[in-house]
Amino acid sequence: MRKNISSKSGSSRDPLEFLPLTPAMFHILLALADRERHGYHIMREVEERTEGMVRLGPGTLYGSIKRMLSDGLVEESGERPDPEMDDERRRYYRLTDFGYRVATAEAERLAGLVRSARSKKLLSRV
Amino acid sequence: MNKRTQLSSSDLSGRFYTLMLKAYPTEFRREYGPHMAQLFRDSGRAAMRDRSIGLIFQFWATVIFDLVKTAPIEHIDSLRKGKSVMNNLRRDALALFGCIAIIVVALLLLNYGRANEVSTLLLLGYALDAIVVTGVVGNFIVFLLAKTTRINPLKAALWTFLIVNALPAIALAIIGPRIDPQFRLAATMIGYLLSFIFWYGLHWMWALTKGRPRLAGDGGQ
Repeated sequence: MRKNISSKSGSSRDPLEFLPLTPAMFHILLALADRERHGYHIMREVEERTEGMVRLGPGTLYGSIKRMLSDGLVEESGERPDPEMDDERRRYYRLTDFGYRVATAEAERLAGLVRSARSKKLLSRV
Repeated sequence: MNKRTQLSSSDLSGRFYTLMLKAYPTEFRREYGPHMAQLFRDSGRAAMRDRSIGLIFQFWATVIFDLVKTAPIEHIDSLRKGKSVMNNLRRDALALFGCIAIIVVALLLLNYGRANEVSTLLLLGYALDAIVVTGVVGNFIVFLLAKTTRINPLKAALWTFLIVNALPAIALAIIGPRIDPQFRLAATMIGYLLSFIFWYGLHWMWALTKGRPRLAGDGGQ
């Protein structure tokens, strides 16, 4: 779902320059790929998606967000998905177009690694 | 664990975490501290809800490991950008020299006015007098408050200059006419008012150079 994701293009930059991403950054980008979320939502999404294998602490989460904001991979969103149900002090974040391209490039890089692992018989073919 | 115990231990751990946040650089803490504290409270509540000692232990282990791992990274990042050390030192030095220069100029003008009986300067003398005295005392207090507490510097300047201007103004209004029959109450009051406006205005403009001046809490932890 990309309809709400920012049009901040970053078209002059090459997403490959940002690779490889740190695992925390990639997890955050994945969490924001389908919708905007606030910090706790991101943390919960990562924990649930990885079945508790990855737990982002507050320092890791906001340290990564700080760097991704300055690199233009994510941005703050002024919108509140449900203003009545939510605390207005929470900050929501969403992917920029450039962030989406970086996440895609990292996913392709990881997919390439998986293919290599498979070709070396480290993974069984599914 | 009953609800009251759960609430108070959650409050206590929240306060403890706020203290732990001091391990991060000030700028990072100002920007993200409240959100990190919120995240800590949210995840802490979730861990407490399950009432499992194992989960609570795991929660604290994650938090402490996270802090130990990320605080040095943020300090290195902050130092690399040269923001927190060099910029602040430069700003402090500039502010200090600016204040000294203003006070010296005001003092020189005052002496020149008195020596040469320049009427305009003598009229301004009340304000210059107040600017010199309250400038020395007030700026020293504001500097100390800004460096040793978490009070918003602009807020500290507002209250400090309000107090250091109001106190001598009130004292002079009471004792001035008794010790000097030619004491000019209105001129003295206007002098202190102008002094307050001058110094607070200066601090306001100084805050503007750093970003949007905010009188309310700076959101720091």
